[in-house]
Amino acid sequence: MGVLLLDIVTTAAILFAVASGLMIILGVMKLINFAHGAFLTIGGYAAYATTQLGWNPWLAIPFAALVGFVLGLIVERAIVRPLYARPLDAILATWGLGIIIGQVITIVFGRQVQFVQSPISGAIEFLGQSYSTYRLVLVALAAVLALALTALLYYTRFGLNARAVIMNEDLARGLGIDSTRVRLTTFGLGAALASMAGALITPLISVDPNLGLPWLVNSFMLVLVSGISIPGLMVASLILGGAQVVVSTYLSAILGGLTIVVLAAVILRIRPQGLFSG
Amino acid sequence: MNGEAAILAVSGLTSGYGEAIVVRGVSVAVAPGEIVALLGKNGMGKSTLLKTVMGFLPAREGQVTLHGRDVTRDPPYRVARQAIAYTPQEQAIFQDLSVGDNLRLGQPDARWFDEELARVGEVFPFLKERLGQRAGTLSGGEQKMMLVARALMARPKLMLVDEITEGLQPSIIQRLAKALLAERARTGMAMLLVEQNVRFALEVADRWAVVKLGEIDDEGRSDAPDAAARIAKHLSV
Repeated sequence: MGVLLLDIVTTAAILFAVASGLMIILGVMKLINFAHGAFLTIGGYAAYATTQLGWNPWLAIPFAALVGFVLGLIVERAIVRPLYARPLDAILATWGLGIIIGQVITIVFGRQVQFVQSPISGAIEFLGQSYSTYRLVLVALAAVLALALTALLYYTRFGLNARAVIMNEDLARGLGIDSTRVRLTTFGLGAALASMAGALITPLISVDPNLGLPWLVNSFMLVLVSGISIPGLMVASLILGGAQVVVSTYLSAILGGLTIVVLAAVILRIRPQGLFSG
Repeated sequence: MNGEAAILAVSGLTSGYGEAIVVRGVSVAVAPGEIVALLGKNGMGKSTLLKTVMGFLPAREGQVTLHGRDVTRDPPYRVARQAIAYTPQEQAIFQDLSVGDNLRLGQPDARWFDEELARVGEVFPFLKERLGQRAGTLSGGEQKMMLVARALMARPKLMLVDEITEGLQPSIIQRLAKALLAERARTGMAMLLVEQNVRFALEVADRWAVVKLGEIDDEGRSDAPDAAARIAKHLSV
């Protein structure tokens, strides 16, 4: 039972980290970034590159975030920004971008599965159970991430400007807020979060050019259920991630893989605005 | 009014929505410290003029200069950063943000927030006590006062005010008039008001102009003895 609880909490932490970048972009830009999975994959390969270069494995996290941020800025400027007035086209463009990124990664790194070095290995005794140290560290990192995102959105000028843009972009512009810059920074931040999450999960899984794809669907569902709020995403990750763990443990891993999508579809059928939106 | 000395100079401005031309070759200038009121019935192009000055609508013809600099093609955020405060008629506040956050958005430099809050708080004392309250829960009059306070937070050189008195009781209108005139006296702020409340406009403004079908139909000084009668004649037709 103790291991099950720890699995639920650590899975929720991983899901939160993976979905947060998608949520930030959707919340501020009203854009579903279908390249989110590709940015996760980029983060995975940034971690792989870190291993190959012989760097300290912890450096994979900031390195992936930096790579994601820079690429996010380029993508926003070159692909997303010209399509602001055509939101559907912008979504399709990110979908296409995801495919292109996957192909480029395949050309550069090959199709084969790669592995990265974990910053921490082994297990520790926790709540009377022997449990993966790295998974427990992920919980702490996800908590730090949640606090940092909350602080950014609610205690900084950028956060205030971003919330103003979300609520009424024209009014925000009339107050001197450069909403284009807010969107640029937000996309860069979302891409950085996705890449960082990719680097965080790679010690638990293998790295391949399609790494991000299954996470994209789950992230999308979690964000919709969250009602696009940070506490909402935490709770949605806990509930849906918890259900996934329970189904995987007691029924089958295949059914477990479908749990988040199915449960989210049911929740959204009953409450289309998500669990935590007014 | 000499266009070169004006803080705002609009010349031959034409704009509208889609195919519809709403503002037709309007020229108006506002000098530093001057208050000009644009009067007219609904749908005559007054608000469209302000939106075009702010850059929310593209100018099809004509020019807008602020402090002598051409801002005709500038986006709204860049216009606003020229020490311009714009208070739109509708959806003017962030309903789901707190009063404090709404006011913070009026003052881009956080270092000045407390000082400016103390200043506008003297005019509207209730704001200081309700910084944490959601702005959408304020009464209509309080929201308008907060709107003016937010505009004053950055000590603008020019305020563009769109029908601030609409739906307000006379006591609140008096309070707003007093606040705007006090700010003008203290900082030399200029104003371009769009109004339907003639009494308020003549009390506050130095000059007035009546906008009819997108054009300036008549204009004059507010202290002229026949100002109210001339305006009434235009508005009654």
